[in-house]
Amino acid sequence: MYDTEKLGTDVNQTNTKISARNVQVYYGDTHAIKDVNVDIDAKSVTAFIGPSGCGKSTFLRCINRMNDTIDVCRVKGDITIDGEDIYDKRVDPVQLRAKVGMVFQKPNPFPKSIYDNIAYGPRIHGLAKNKADLDEIVEKSLRRGAIWNEVKDRLHAPGTGLSGGQQQRLCIARAVATEPEVLLMDEPCSALDPIATAQVEELIDELRDQFSVVIVTHSMQQAARVSQKTAFFHLGNLVEYGDTSQIFTTPKDERTESYITGRIG
Amino acid sequence: MTDASQPTVPNSSLHILDARTKRRNAAESRFKLYGMIAIGIGLLMLVTLLTTILSKGTGAFTQTFVTMEVELLESKLDKTGERDLEKIKKVTTFGYAPLIKTAFEQTVETHGIDTDLKSKTMAKILSKSAASQLRDYVISNPDQIGQTIEFRFLANSRVDGYMKGRVTRDSIANDKNITAAQLDFVDQLIEVGALKKTFNIDFIIGADASDQRPEAAGIGVAMMGSLFMMLVVLALALPIGVAASIYLEEFAPKNWITDIIEVNISNLAAVPSIVFGILGLAVFINYMHLPQSAPLVGGLVLTLMTLPTIIISTRAALKAVPPSIRDAALGVGASKMQAVFHHVLPLAAPGILTGTIIGLAQALGETAPLLLIGMIGFIASNMPGTVGEGLLSPNSAMPAQIYEWAKRADPAFYERAWGGIIILLIFLISMNTLAVLLRRRFERRW
Repeated sequence: MYDTEKLGTDVNQTNTKISARNVQVYYGDTHAIKDVNVDIDAKSVTAFIGPSGCGKSTFLRCINRMNDTIDVCRVKGDITIDGEDIYDKRVDPVQLRAKVGMVFQKPNPFPKSIYDNIAYGPRIHGLAKNKADLDEIVEKSLRRGAIWNEVKDRLHAPGTGLSGGQQQRLCIARAVATEPEVLLMDEPCSALDPIATAQVEELIDELRDQFSVVIVTHSMQQAARVSQKTAFFHLGNLVEYGDTSQIFTTPKDERTESYITGRIG
Repeated sequence: MTDASQPTVPNSSLHILDARTKRRNAAESRFKLYGMIAIGIGLLMLVTLLTTILSKGTGAFTQTFVTMEVELLESKLDKTGERDLEKIKKVTTFGYAPLIKTAFEQTVETHGIDTDLKSKTMAKILSKSAASQLRDYVISNPDQIGQTIEFRFLANSRVDGYMKGRVTRDSIANDKNITAAQLDFVDQLIEVGALKKTFNIDFIIGADASDQRPEAAGIGVAMMGSLFMMLVVLALALPIGVAASIYLEEFAPKNWITDIIEVNISNLAAVPSIVFGILGLAVFINYMHLPQSAPLVGGLVLTLMTLPTIIISTRAALKAVPPSIRDAALGVGASKMQAVFHHVLPLAAPGILTGTIIGLAQALGETAPLLLIGMIGFIASNMPGTVGEGLLSPNSAMPAQIYEWAKRADPAFYERAWGGIIILLIFLISMNTLAVLLRRRFERRW
């Protein structure tokens, strides 16, 4: 869908945003992520693919420390963003999550108005000095979420009244409203129909100009369409990581090849 | 499988039910029948309960009154004529009895009633509270001495029972409190309109009365006792319960300590209420020396009893909020507390409110713990004047008052017990309705 020549140049120009070294994740006694090393580029889209239960979502949730909310989950190893260890004792996960936004599998707008959905993040982080500021942030975020034209006349209608695809774009708009640097997306299109999926994918491609996007997906076509780099996870291991074009055309590992050709997974 | 191997089995038509299907259908119809029978029995019980309560209790809301003019003789009430309140107060209720006798004589005379009864016997159809009612009036209106004023006196419980059909001419044969001649006199008074059965507001707002005057007893003061207890329960159980639930549900680590706490909260909900009563007696009264029979203590005991209910329902309400809402809030960088207070709590509020109201309704109807902390018996005869007094001065509560009436010998008290149950039920039904309405009003979909 997106030309590969552009991809090649992009990858060369960008530098590393997120870097993971020897990351291990345990759920109780289960070793969910084994020794993952990965460098994720800034201002590009990186896709995590792999069969269900391979640990790609778990790893994604390590990047904004959402796994902290699960009691039995333990994370070892180093994950750095811009060279700063995010598991350092001095890091407050709340501050981290303002910098690393997240979009979830199921659209989960707050049961409040569309306006309040977007304004919530900026409000709690004190990003707006006054009402006009906040209005501006809301409009800008909704525009970035490619949903402004659809909702501008009903900003005070409940966000839960939108269609599934609109809700997901609202959630993306909500995530970008706090001006994060990284945007994590956990299967953002799995609950959407093909048309809504196409809209969200288009949006992801636009977001790459401003954010480093990491997307977990079950759909290999989606990974091929939207991402510049792809990581293939299998049974908690990062099997292969490289340019999307390379992964899908000339995978180096046998398992990657089996998966993308449909023999495992 | 058999169909595939034998495609031409003759009895495989869809128009003929096979034995298995027939059995299944029969089982389903039987089950429906059982269900309908069960509901039928339930409804029958409910109807019986309500008709019994209403038929026995409505009598308590009306009372028989005798209306007559009483001359407040200066010679009896204020011999010196100084209108000195201290001296007027020295006249006891005995001093007022002659006034009532005279009033009866005059009533008989003005209405032309033909009777052989002596005025002393006539006066016995009145409640024992009549003289004190007169005295209270004179003390608060000393300037009325010398005037003739119309009074409405309570008739005694036998006359009232006669009006309500509880006492008949046959049933009074062995009754020392009333004679057939007095009943004749009552009939004559009814004829001239001096004796009437009317709505009795004092039953709803008044205080309990001694064994001798069932006609004067009311549930109002006990209602205040209940009200103050509910205030204590609400003020303590709601914040403590909700805070405990939020902590346990959202913040506490899941380990064996919280498991034990959880199991014990569930167990506490099943502890008989009388156990909380004896705990209250031992801790609040014997150890902390809080006043006996005080609504404050009752409220504390009921708080202990209500807390598990509130905690369990609040936790259920918090659990019912989808985790995606918490994720969404945490995902935009809200702290745990912001996520809980901005998003989870508002969504759980209807459930919390419902649980709290149900818990309060339970506490309102609770009698057993009150027995142990002495909130039972003929305790308070006056409405509490201030909030502090309401909390600390001895009082009873509605269910305890009902129990108290039910165990007294006079059937007039028995009627009041049923009447009290009607009032209690009205309270409980309105609280439950409020819970349902709140739930409907604030319920939101996500």
